[in-house]
Amino acid sequence: MMNRIIRRIQRFKGWFGAAAAFCIFYGLYLGLFDSPPDYYQGEVVRIMYVHVPLAHTSLMAYASLFLGSLWYLWKRDPLVDNMCQAAAGLTVIFTALSLITGAIWAKPTWNTWWTWDPKLISFAILLLIASGYLMLRTFVEDPDKEGRYAAVLAIVGGIDLPIIYFSAEWWRSLHQPLSISMRGVSMTGDILLPLSIMSLGLNLLFLYMLMVRTQMLYLTNLLQAKKGRLLSQVHLTQTSS
Amino acid sequence: MTGFYLRWAGVIVMAITMAVLANKNYQEHLASISPEAVLAGEHSHATLRVQGMVGSGSLTGSPEEGHAEFELLGETKHLKVQYQGPPPENLRELKTLILIGRWDSGSQVFQAQDTALVTNYGFVASAYLIAFLVLVASVFSMSRKVTCLFQEIKESKLYEPELETHVEHR
Amino acid sequence: MWSTGKKTSLILSILLVAGALGYLALGNFGENLVYFVTPSEVRAFSAEQAQKKIRVAGMVVKKSIKTQADPVGLTFELTDGEATIPVVFQGIPPDLFKEGQGAVAEGHWRSDKIFHSKMIMAKHSEDYMPIEMKRAGVELPKKDFMKTLSP
Repeated sequence: MMNRIIRRIQRFKGWFGAAAAFCIFYGLYLGLFDSPPDYYQGEVVRIMYVHVPLAHTSLMAYASLFLGSLWYLWKRDPLVDNMCQAAAGLTVIFTALSLITGAIWAKPTWNTWWTWDPKLISFAILLLIASGYLMLRTFVEDPDKEGRYAAVLAIVGGIDLPIIYFSAEWWRSLHQPLSISMRGVSMTGDILLPLSIMSLGLNLLFLYMLMVRTQMLYLTNLLQAKKGRLLSQVHLTQTSS
Repeated sequence: MTGFYLRWAGVIVMAITMAVLANKNYQEHLASISPEAVLAGEHSHATLRVQGMVGSGSLTGSPEEGHAEFELLGETKHLKVQYQGPPPENLRELKTLILIGRWDSGSQVFQAQDTALVTNYGFVASAYLIAFLVLVASVFSMSRKVTCLFQEIKESKLYEPELETHVEHR
Repeated sequence: MWSTGKKTSLILSILLVAGALGYLALGNFGENLVYFVTPSEVRAFSAEQAQKKIRVAGMVVKKSIKTQADPVGLTFELTDGEATIPVVFQGIPPDLFKEGQGAVAEGHWRSDKIFHSKMIMAKHSEDYMPIEMKRAGVELPKKDFMKTLSP
């Protein structure tokens, strides 16, 4: 079933790409030109319009890896396994980018590039988990074992998600608490708008990238399998003649 | 393949337009000059934005008194500054900031009307550049790989020989 | 099936991830990792605790910042609403460091009951708004700053 859903959505992949491009360019326009500087941080607040959406997208990428792994363990659908592998690769890209943009934001606002703060540590751990996942996949050679081990790793690593999200609420942290929470929204509309447009844009971009990358991995595997079958056919004809 | 490159050309044109507009916006509204440039007279606008640090021990006056005088330090020279009207609360010594005002070349005193935070626009620009260059590069390489894979599967003799016979029959 | 090189790197990668997860899961992270202490905790320090390099967070008391010319630096007071400690800082403070805002100072609590620091970081709250609205006195629903010090 999942297999068919993925194939069906793949057909509309171009629309996701176009919508992502539109939202990102509109978000860039709002973030760079059509929004006021912050009262406390000044122009530097514009970094937030890339950093926060990137961080949200990393969490979203890992969440799809987590859910996909659960589904894979249940149904053993190889296409879902390809999707998980694609999501892990994207988690690495998005997490690394949010750490880098975060460091660039931290220098002018906090006065340091990096500090051992709970939110920063748990986010760096997400990067470690996702890269560990990809390493594990390259080292296990049996495809069935590879998928199973990797899925288990991804599910165990899922505990990092709530820790990242709530770390600045639960522990003493230099990182500011959530701006959108049960307390309400502590942002004015003209700052919230570019943030939400960019967030939407990057999440759409992630979905688009996920589809392209899943297709890439699927085709690579297909090509390898075909080559393998052809080789074995050559082998068969040689031995039979 | 042409459609593929055409779409990407569109994205790149849009991105370059954004970068040019952002740079123009910076030059027009946010760029500032140093105290040395003010003293040397290397400026043409009536209202100037000067970036420097409030000298230690030079600040007199306060928001309550409704005026302030201080020295703005540059790399080598410093400017005498007189604040017109009550200064903002966050004005303090050892702070780097941007002063907006006029240079009175007769009395050699800078008449400041407002302050602004240091723009740190280099940080903003590098965050945007790094994030989007990496994203665009990875989307590009992935999509190209997919297009190439399709090509390879079609072209290589790997793909169903029955398809070829099917074509011949027609 | 596996070459030795692959086996070692497999074990290494599993150890890496397991270590990271264990660190998270075993509560080491939440309980022992205290990013900063508050001024009231510093006041209650024992002599041996005072030896260590620590971070103190609090709000910079209004009208408490005084600059020094030689050596360049400043003195100010940090408060968590209950206790207040004096801080002596050497160096150029960050631009966003200001009175009535949060700050984290890294340094030592000496026997003279003054906190000596050479590194301060500005801690900002989660509210964002344009300058004009701040000047007009708009307040947004944010977490009480003192509560962010010891959640």
